[in-house]
Amino acid sequence: MWTRQENIPESGLKEHPHVRIGRYALVRNTVFLGLTAVVLAGFLVNIPRINILEHTARNLYFHVPMWFTMMAAVGVSGYHSFRLLQTGSLIRDIRAMQAARVGAWFGVLGLLTGIIWSKFTWYVGTDVWWNFDPRQTMASLQLLIYGAYFVLRSALEDPDRRAKIAAVYNLFAATTTPFLLYVIPRQLESLHPGAEGNPAFSEITEPVMRLIFYPAIIGFIGLFWVLYTQRVRIAWIKYRVSRDPEL
Amino acid sequence: MEQVVQSIQDSLRASQSVSTPFDSIWTRGDVPTVAPSGLEQIMLSNDKIFVVLAVVLLIWIGLIFFVYRTDRRLSQVERSLEDRIYESDDEI
Repeated sequence: MWTRQENIPESGLKEHPHVRIGRYALVRNTVFLGLTAVVLAGFLVNIPRINILEHTARNLYFHVPMWFTMMAAVGVSGYHSFRLLQTGSLIRDIRAMQAARVGAWFGVLGLLTGIIWSKFTWYVGTDVWWNFDPRQTMASLQLLIYGAYFVLRSALEDPDRRAKIAAVYNLFAATTTPFLLYVIPRQLESLHPGAEGNPAFSEITEPVMRLIFYPAIIGFIGLFWVLYTQRVRIAWIKYRVSRDPEL
Repeated sequence: MEQVVQSIQDSLRASQSVSTPFDSIWTRGDVPTVAPSGLEQIMLSNDKIFVVLAVVLLIWIGLIFFVYRTDRRLSQVERSLEDRIYESDDEI
């Protein structure tokens, strides 16, 4: 619990009770440099033109990491919800909430970029933008489940009670994620790569693409970490000021 | 210009020859094909590089939007912090 400090040292922020500011700054700077390199390489490195895909194969570096990032965020969020139920410490609630908030936003970006990509590959020559492809449908269902999490939180007034109820729901939401994003879509006929007979990576995938793809995933997960840590820091101040960590 | 039109037509033909099992299952019929709209003509030109640009721009704008939202929350917390400090001044 918060004890009042009369004399806050000049370097007060370096002794943040929950965030290592030095590590945060290091991650932030590395992420900004790394993602700049990824965007440059993503546009400049030559790749073979495959029919239908053409240059849009480069979206592998941008669209796919959105979902990896959301998956990582869901893991972080679920872990902290689990820890909240063990310890009852509200910093776990802050972390679970903010990881879900940032992760869901990456999911929205993944869905929107997926719609654009599919429009000019799967649905080219038609006026279709959305055709309930199982992968896209399950992904939007997943986002709705997280939307319900935020609504649930806003409906509860008492921070401690909200933290516990939201943590239970969040564990449910985190458990459904791998099924809705990976397991179920692979059982259904879909135009999205990753299904039977249509692997996301295959022997015709240019090897250099992996060299850009993996740093892109690490970079976007790092970017998630930066945005998430910013919000955790703000929510912590809010908690100290008003006893309510909800942003 | 003719080359561009030719490449668009080629890619259109290629896309139509590819079976889309999903469409036929769920819509139970032919997907209506339309002539490439102005938007499609732009996006399909230059081997569809503008699709990548659109995706990257969308992510970039989305991230900027999120940073603004975080910033707004920070301003709210700062304001309530100022209120608290003034209140404690009154107590003295």
